[in-house]
Amino acid sequence: MNDFENAKRGRGGCHADPNSSEQGANAPSSKQNNFGADLAENVRALKELLPAEDILVYEFAAGDGTACAAVYADGITDKQLLGELAARPLAEGDAPETLEACRKRMLFPEVKEAEDVAGAAEEILAGNPALLIDGMRGALVLGTKKVSLRAVAEPQTAIAIKGPREGFIEDVKTNMGLIRRRLKTPALRFVTLTVGRYSKTSVALAYLSGVASEARVKEIEARLAAADIDGVPDSSYIARILARRPHSLFKQAGTTEKPDILCAKMLEGRIAVLADGSPIALTLPYMLAEDFQSAQDYFVSPYRATVSRVLRLLAVLASLLLPALYVAAQLFRLRLIPFGLLLIVSGGIRAIPLSPGLEMFFLLAVLEVLVEASVRMPKYVALALSVIGALVLGDTAVKAGLVSSPAIIIVAIAGISAYTVPDLTGTLSLVRILFVVAAGSIGPYGVVLLAALLLWYLVSADSYGVPLLAPFAPLVSHDLRDALIKADLSSLAERPRTLRGKNRRRLRLCAGGSLPPRQGEQGEGSPRRPAEEEGAPTPQKTAGRKEAGGEKGGAGAGEPSSPQTDKKNEEARDG
Amino acid sequence: MDKVYVRQVCFLLAAVLPVARLIVYPATLAYRAGNDLLLPAAASLVCEGAAVLLAAWISRRSGRTLFELVQLRLGKGAAKVLSFLLALFFALAAVLPLLEQRGFVLQILYENVPSFLSFTPLFAVLLFAAAQGLRSLGRMADLAMPVFAVCFTALLLLGLPGADFAALLPVGGHGAGTLARAALHSLPWYTAAPGVLCLCGHFRCEKGDMKKVLLAYAVGGAATLLFLALFYAVFADIALLQQNAVAHLSKYATALTPLGRVDLLFVIALTLVMVVAAALPVRLCALCLQETFGGPPALHAGIVCALLLGLTVLLNPAFREAQALLTEKLWPVFALFGYALPLLCALFLWDKKGRGLPAPPRGAGAGRQLARAKQRPARVRLGKGGR
Repeated sequence: MNDFENAKRGRGGCHADPNSSEQGANAPSSKQNNFGADLAENVRALKELLPAEDILVYEFAAGDGTACAAVYADGITDKQLLGELAARPLAEGDAPETLEACRKRMLFPEVKEAEDVAGAAEEILAGNPALLIDGMRGALVLGTKKVSLRAVAEPQTAIAIKGPREGFIEDVKTNMGLIRRRLKTPALRFVTLTVGRYSKTSVALAYLSGVASEARVKEIEARLAAADIDGVPDSSYIARILARRPHSLFKQAGTTEKPDILCAKMLEGRIAVLADGSPIALTLPYMLAEDFQSAQDYFVSPYRATVSRVLRLLAVLASLLLPALYVAAQLFRLRLIPFGLLLIVSGGIRAIPLSPGLEMFFLLAVLEVLVEASVRMPKYVALALSVIGALVLGDTAVKAGLVSSPAIIIVAIAGISAYTVPDLTGTLSLVRILFVVAAGSIGPYGVVLLAALLLWYLVSADSYGVPLLAPFAPLVSHDLRDALIKADLSSLAERPRTLRGKNRRRLRLCAGGSLPPRQGEQGEGSPRRPAEEEGAPTPQKTAGRKEAGGEKGGAGAGEPSSPQTDKKNEEARDG
Repeated sequence: MDKVYVRQVCFLLAAVLPVARLIVYPATLAYRAGNDLLLPAAASLVCEGAAVLLAAWISRRSGRTLFELVQLRLGKGAAKVLSFLLALFFALAAVLPLLEQRGFVLQILYENVPSFLSFTPLFAVLLFAAAQGLRSLGRMADLAMPVFAVCFTALLLLGLPGADFAALLPVGGHGAGTLARAALHSLPWYTAAPGVLCLCGHFRCEKGDMKKVLLAYAVGGAATLLFLALFYAVFADIALLQQNAVAHLSKYATALTPLGRVDLLFVIALTLVMVVAAALPVRLCALCLQETFGGPPALHAGIVCALLLGLTVLLNPAFREAQALLTEKLWPVFALFGYALPLLCALFLWDKKGRGLPAPPRGAGAGRQLARAKQRPARVRLGKGGR
């Protein structure tokens, strides 16, 4: 264990070293872990903990000549800001005698007192320099972190034809701000945790108090707190940590890069997880039906949205089953193929040396290779790849008699169809190969059995108490309005029952479909009913977590839970 | 406790169980009752419907599992004996559907009959299914319902153009004895009541749910009768030769169309429901074994699947003999478990003084209440013939 870890563990004076009494009272000890009054000793203690070359010390003098120093990490600290807003005010007057006086001298709000040497070291590593003044016990941490951010732009993976175009970026604070901008309510809560032994990645849970399940928030928090991992390069690591079935073929957390989608999901009662350094936010609990929904479904006519969703489902089924059924039909049951098509197929496969299963397997492998290559290769060679893929594989392979034209068409349809649901593409490509193997070895019955096995596996899985296949299995008829079918907004007056929120109502409309008058309604800013007050959660301060948010919970148009609604909730969650 | 919802039990009755009657049963009934095949089928459905209703009533009144009830009334030993006997019954009841499905799969889903090995992966699926909780079974019923509804309707509609319902006339040409024998010999296809009885206590049956159960059973029964009528209307005198009825029903309407045998896609989808139907008795058998011996469900599921695989391999070349044994010789066993057991349960468990079955455990203290009741059997009123 290094000094830094020792110092952290020794924080709070639990492990006071008897030798420390031999040192001067003004000298800090890395083991004792408190700042003394001697500037040089304090700086030395910090440098002992942080011996890296990029940890620099900026020494300057106050107006009365008192030595001051700022210890900072080069590259992630805004030195200009440090000089303008911290060093200059000190240099222009006498050195302050207390930390409080020093804090008041600073020209910006993000100033706090360091708990101890290890705490200051942690802040320095996060980009916040520690300000030390000779003769003054303690240090101030200045929030002058330099964050080089890319602009908030439309994410490449979720292009919207209609609707908002903002996307998350790699900075968790900016992402939290994007959420806050859309949910201006005290019910929006953030719980910030630090995950990663070395990376110390900030992970923020965001949820709407009174809408999301508090127990679920605590469960997620506990899982994250219990995770001992060396680093978290991306939110997908967090998804793995939070997964109940880490070895599952199917993903277990929803993902999005768009704040509008995330906020919509939070309004339904889900919990968002943001990781610093990742533009992808996770949402929990996750249901498979989510992936068939697109943000655009909510901005266009419900009929169009329903057609789109049905098309997506059919495309996914085609992507999964079409190659397998083609192989099974050729190998075991020719009558599955219409006679006219059978003639074409038989003409096409006559000279093919590979068996139908191998042929399909080969083509699927080529498709995967092409996809992999097109994702990784530089853009300027993409055109060449397209030419090679289209001409060499598409045309020459047929002419050479390696593969048949119908097989290429089937694989192309399967490959393209998978991209109608981009979040499932990876899983689909793997499961598709399994289906081809089953079809090639057992035939149509293999396809049926594999489908049954997968369905049974999926119905037995859940994500934080919510069945993965809800609202289809278990059938929650209320939630079907926004599953495969997209009902009109006026029919979506309640949040999904599958998510088990207490506050169920999210919309009230008058009989004519117009918005109701505000007076007497339970909205934010309007008087609350006592039952709601009782149901509203109180702010929680738990050790080891930082919470941000309003004083009172309660979201929007709240509905107190009644025995009837409780019963319906219970039915919805399938036990 | 594993929870299944009344809705899911209804779906099992309406969609999953009727599927088992779409393969060999119609041809067998046509062989025994000719154009009067609807009469024995209707009689069987009415009797089984009554038994199912009785089982649902027991569930509603007691709120406990069958084994808990028997334990309360007759003691732990009797409960274990009953659960073991039920396990044997479910294993027996699973044999015929498995053999039927084997024949169906190998003859319909393949151009040339492949080796028996092509059928064996089913047992891996059954093992996985039986190792999962009853909750998964209920959820599969939720999925099976729309698949069945769409595919069954499509097959009926495709078969309709070739139907001549005059083939069903005149009604009642066969004697009552023949029809009664036909009904009795078709008992192996009517095992819903013991299934519902086993699910007692695993689903909450409340006021009004009995009607739902009855309605669901009626829907399933109507689907069976409709299929039988259409089947005989399409094939008439050669109906007794059409072993895999569901696959043949619509072939005349589709074979020569530009789309080809598109009905086979519906048949393949219906095979998925057949897998769920095959898993039902296996899962219940594992449940009964677990009640008898305790231990992990996967172990019992493995034992049941191994046993059934062995039986299927053994009886593979002798389907007709196995069918004759089960339908003609062992029908009293099915009558005993299918009809008599629910009746006996209701009678044995009924309180003499009209206070009905033991009150269902309610609320958070339900477990403690049940444990107290088990500890103090003297305070529990005994039913008729109770000891």
